[in-house]
Amino acid sequence: MIQEPSQQIADRAIMARVVQGDQSAFRALYDRLADPLYSLACKMLGDEVEAQDAMQDVFVQMWRRAGSYDPEQSSVFTWAILLTRSRIIDRLRARGRRLRVVAASADQEDIPITAGDASVAESAADISSRNESAMRVRTIMANLPAEQREAIELAFFGDLTHHEVAERLGEPLGTVKARIRRGLLKLRERMET
Amino acid sequence: MIPEEQQDQAALYALGLLEPDEAAAFESQLSANAELRDMTRELREAAGSVAFTAPLRTPPASLKERIMREIANEAAERKVVPLQRRPLGWVPWAIAAALAIFCGLLAVDRIRLKRQLAALRGVDQLMQTTFFTLAPSAPAPADAKATVAWEPGNQSGVIRISNLPAPQPGKDYQLWAVDTEHKDPISAGIIRVDKNGGAQVRFKPVENAQHVKAFAISLEREGGVQKKEGPILFVGSS
Repeated sequence: MIQEPSQQIADRAIMARVVQGDQSAFRALYDRLADPLYSLACKMLGDEVEAQDAMQDVFVQMWRRAGSYDPEQSSVFTWAILLTRSRIIDRLRARGRRLRVVAASADQEDIPITAGDASVAESAADISSRNESAMRVRTIMANLPAEQREAIELAFFGDLTHHEVAERLGEPLGTVKARIRRGLLKLRERMET
Repeated sequence: MIPEEQQDQAALYALGLLEPDEAAAFESQLSANAELRDMTRELREAAGSVAFTAPLRTPPASLKERIMREIANEAAERKVVPLQRRPLGWVPWAIAAALAIFCGLLAVDRIRLKRQLAALRGVDQLMQTTFFTLAPSAPAPADAKATVAWEPGNQSGVIRISNLPAPQPGKDYQLWAVDTEHKDPISAGIIRVDKNGGAQVRFKPVENAQHVKAFAISLEREGGVQKKEGPILFVGSS
C-alpha cells in the first residue's frame, strides 16, 4: 500500500468536505497532492509552464468532480494521479503531440521538498512520509526486471495503447501484456510488505 | 483464481491502456466478479504509485493562489442568492394560488397527452426506437456526451452531442454503426459540431444494419473514410 492507512483516511475525510463545497478543505487537498501531481505533469509534458496550466485544469476538475470520487475504486491519491494523467494525455493529443517517453530520468534532477516552501502547508511528518513513499516505489521499481520496468514506464508515462507499447518495444503483444501484469503484481506485492 | 488472460486485462485496464470497446467489455466483467474487482483496485493503486518515479518537483506558490481564486469564483457562481424577507405577507399566498392553478393546467394537459400517446402507440416508430449512450474516451473530453436514438425500421437515427470541441483542421468526426452481421463498422456519416461543441443530426448508415449492437464515433481524415482508421472517441451499446 503506497500510502499509510492514516493518510488515506485523512484524504477521504478531506474529500468528504470538498464534496460539500468546503474551500478550506480543497486548499488542504491541494497541499497534500500538489507535489506528486506537479512532478507527474512536468515529467509527461517536459515543460514547467505547461505543467502549471495542466495543474490548474486538473484541480478545477477535481473541485467540479469531487462528488464522482468512489472510495471503493481507488484511494484519493490514485484517483488524483490517474485523473491528472488522463487530462495530460488529452492535452498532448489535442495538440497533436506524442510524448517522448524518457525511459530513464537521470537527466532530471530531483528538487527536494522542504517544509519551508511557501506552497506547502503540510506537516513535516506528511512531507517525510510522502518522500519515504516515493523512495520506496523507486526502490521497488529499480529492482524489477528491466523489461518489466521498461514496459510499465512506457505504458504509464506514454500516450500509447498496449498495441503501441508492443510496437515500440518490438515485442509480441502477449509478451508485453505479461510483462506489464507481472511487473504490476510485483509492485503491488512489494508495496504491501 | 483469476485466469491469467483476465489478469492481463486487469493490468492494462488499471493503466488505462485498453481501447474503449475493450475497456467497456472488461467493465462488464468487473461488475459480475468481486474477486476481479478487488484485484483491479489493487493494480490501480500500484499503477498510480508509478507516478512517484517522476523526479520530484514543487509548484510555485502563485499556482496555488491562482487555482484557489478560480475555485472561489466557481463557488460564488454556484451559490443561490437567498430571498430577502419583505413585509409583503400576501405574496406567498399569491404564489401558492398561482402554482395551484398551474398544476391544474398541467394535470389536464397530461391527460390529453396520455390519450394522444395511447393513440400513437400502435403505429409510431418511436416505440421501436433503441437508445444508445456513448461513453467518451480520450481524446474526447471527459464531460463530452453523445446519445443515439436508433430506429431500425427506418434504418435511420438521431445523434445528439454536447461538449465536444471541433476537430483540428483536416479532421472530421465520423459516426459508425457496429452491426453483428457485418465484419467492419458501417459508416453513418460525418458529424459536425457547432461552436458550442453541440450537434443534433439525423443519420442513415450507408449499408443496411438490422443488428446494431453499438455506435461509435472516431476522429478521421476530413471528409470521412470508408473503413475506420482513426482513434475512437465515443462508444456505447444500448
